[in-house]
Amino acid sequence: MSSFTIPIGPQHPALPEPILLKLEVEGEYVVGVDVDISYMHRGIEKAMEYRNYIQNIYLAERICGICNVAHTVCYTLNVEKLYDKEIPPRAQYLRVIIEELNRIHSHLLWLGVAGHEIGFETLFMYVWRDRERVMDLIETITGNRVNTAYTTIGGVRRDITSDIEYKIRKTMDIVEERTKYYKSVAAAEPTIIARTKDIGILKTIDAINLCAVGPLLRASNVKNDVRADAPYAAHDEVPFNVITYPYCDVFSRILVRVDEIFECINMIRYCLDHLPKGPIRIKLPLKPPKGEAVTRVEAPRGELLHYVLSDGSEKPYRYKVRTPTLANIPSLCRMLTSSGDYIVKIADVPIAYASIDPCLCCTGRVQIVDIEKNKKWIWSWEELKEYSKKEFKKS
Amino acid sequence: MGIINWARSRSPWIVHLCTGACNGCDIEILAALTPRYDLERFGVLLKGSPRHADIFIVTGPITRQMKDRVVRIYEQIPDPKFVVAVGTCTMSGGAFRGCYNVYEGLDAVIPVDAYVAGCPVKPEAIIQAVAALVKKIRSG
Amino acid sequence: MNDEEILNKLREVFKEKIIESSIPRKNIVNIVVPKEFYKEVIKFIVENFNIPHIQTITGIDMGNEIQIIAHLGRSITINVRTYIDKNNPQIDTITDIIPGASFYEREVYDLLGVNFIGHPNLKRVILPENWPKGVYPLRKEYKPEHPKPLRGV
Repeated sequence: MSSFTIPIGPQHPALPEPILLKLEVEGEYVVGVDVDISYMHRGIEKAMEYRNYIQNIYLAERICGICNVAHTVCYTLNVEKLYDKEIPPRAQYLRVIIEELNRIHSHLLWLGVAGHEIGFETLFMYVWRDRERVMDLIETITGNRVNTAYTTIGGVRRDITSDIEYKIRKTMDIVEERTKYYKSVAAAEPTIIARTKDIGILKTIDAINLCAVGPLLRASNVKNDVRADAPYAAHDEVPFNVITYPYCDVFSRILVRVDEIFECINMIRYCLDHLPKGPIRIKLPLKPPKGEAVTRVEAPRGELLHYVLSDGSEKPYRYKVRTPTLANIPSLCRMLTSSGDYIVKIADVPIAYASIDPCLCCTGRVQIVDIEKNKKWIWSWEELKEYSKKEFKKS
Repeated sequence: MGIINWARSRSPWIVHLCTGACNGCDIEILAALTPRYDLERFGVLLKGSPRHADIFIVTGPITRQMKDRVVRIYEQIPDPKFVVAVGTCTMSGGAFRGCYNVYEGLDAVIPVDAYVAGCPVKPEAIIQAVAALVKKIRSG
Repeated sequence: MNDEEILNKLREVFKEKIIESSIPRKNIVNIVVPKEFYKEVIKFIVENFNIPHIQTITGIDMGNEIQIIAHLGRSITINVRTYIDKNNPQIDTITDIIPGASFYEREVYDLLGVNFIGHPNLKRVILPENWPKGVYPLRKEYKPEHPKPLRGV
C-alpha cells in the first residue's frame, strides 16, 4: 500500500498562525502526522534576559494576544513569589475577574472560528457580534481591548467603581442569555452534530499518557483543572465546577467550552458580591532576592507554566514559558492518525485541528506527494476546506 | 477613471498573512469584518488565495522562516497590488526588536503602501486605512 | 499523599543517591540527583505516586554545566534536577516512561544542544531550517545581534 505525504502550510483566512502539518496518507485515510512549528519562533526567552522585570510584563503579554491576561497573571504571580510578600486580597479578586472575562472572550472567539471551519458562517458572525460586548467591558475596565497589562508586580493598576460594577453585571446577564441560545443551537443542530460527532477522537488513556491539558483533556472525561488542583490568586475562595464530558470527540469539546462560559459568569458574579475592600497595589523594589519560582495558571487553552531563576539583579537569569498548545501537540498527532478501527479522512483534518484551539497561526499550504507516481501538487487551506465540505455533502 | 479602476475601487479583495505575530492584530482584523464594524460594506472580502486579491495585509514581525513565504505570496498577487502593514511589529519589529529570529520591519522585505500603527490596531483604524487606500485607487 | 510523605518516601528508597532535597513552598518538592539515577528516580515517581503527567523540561546554562529540571505532577509539583557537563551534554531520554515528553526534549536539544540518548525522533523543532548548526541560542555565550535590514541604510 503506497503512502503519500501532504504538508499543510501558510495561509488561512480564519485564524492565522503559520504551522506546517505533514500528513502521510494512504488513499483517503491519514496514517501519520508530523508537525513543524518553527514559523512562530521569535526568541522571547532570550530577549527576556536583556530586559528588566517591569519591561518583561509587556513582552510576556505579547506571547499570545488572545490569552494575554493569563500570561500577565502568571508572570506577576511568579515574580511575586521571589519577594515572598503578601499581595492585597482586593487585587487578587480583581485579577480573577479580568482573567474570567478573558476566558469568556476566548471561548466565544473559538466558537465562531469552529463555526467558520464547518462552513457555518452565520454562527461566526453572530458570536463575534456578541463578543464585542465583552470587549467593550474589558476596554472600560482596563483601557484597551487586547494586550491590557492590567496586572503589575505588586497588584493591579486600576480599580473598579460602582458604575463599572453595574455595567459588568448587566453585560453578564446579556452574555448568559445569548450563550444559552448558542448551546441550544450547538447541541441540537443536525449539521453541527453530523460534522463533529465521532471526529477527532482522543481516548482517555491516550490523553493521560500524552500529557494533554485544558479543555482537550476535560472533553476526554478526565477531571483536571489547575484552578481546582493547585489554586492561585483567590481561586481557593471562589467556588466553581470542573466541566467534563465523556464523548472524547469534537462535539464534546464544543460542549465543554460552552459550559465553561457559564461557570465564568458565575465566578464573576461571586467575585463582585464578595469583593474585599482595601488597597490594590503594594510597592516592591526593582531587584528581587535570589531564588527560583514556578507558577501554573489555567489559560483558556490549558495549563500554562512560567519558571524564573533570579540571581539578585534587575534582569532575570533564565525565564522559561511553556504554552498549552505545545503540550497538546502529541495528542493532536495521535488524534489525526488512523489505527485499527479508527479511521481519519483528509476531510476531517480542518475541524479536528481547530478543535484543540491552537494558539498557533495555521497558515496552511497542503502539498500532496504521491510517492508511487512521483508527482507533487499543492493545495491551499481554502481548497482543503472546500474538499472537506464537498465530501460531507456527498455522504 | 477607467472601468477597471472603478470596479477595483468599489470592491477591493484582501488576502491576509500573519508572519509570527502575537495574534492581537489578527483578531482585530477579523473583528473589523464582523457586524459591529462591518468592513464588508466597502465591498471588501477576505479571500484565501493570493491570486484573487488586490490588497495584501501583513501583520507580525517577520521571522526568518517566514521571509521567503512573504516574498513568494507578494509575487503571486497580480498587478496592481497594494500592501498594508498593520501594527507596530511590521513597522520596526515592535516589542520584539532585537530578538534573534526577527527582521526589522516589513519594508526591508517588500515595498509598502500604507502603515497602520497600534499595538494592537483598533478596528476603526483599519477601516480608516482601507478607506484611504480606496480613495487613492480611485484617484488613479 | 501530601508533599512531606512523598519526600520521606523518596529519601527512604533512594538514600544516598539524592544529593539534596527540600520543600521550599507548600506542595513543591525539590530533589537533586546525579545524572546516572535521573531516569530511575522519574520511573519510580511515575509508577508509585500515580503521577504520569509531566509539565515541562527546563534547561539552564549555568556557566560550566547545564542544569536539567523535569517538572512532574498535577496538584503537587515534584522538580527533579540534575547537572550535566557542557562540553559533552548527554542524558537518557524519558519518553519511554512518559510519551508526552518528546516535544520538550526536542526543544532543549534545539536551543541548548543537549543530546537525549534513545529519543525516537530527535530533530530540529523550533529554530528555522536555515539556522546554522552548532549555534545554540540559549547558551550564555550567544549574544543576539540586530539582524541587518536588507535595504542599505
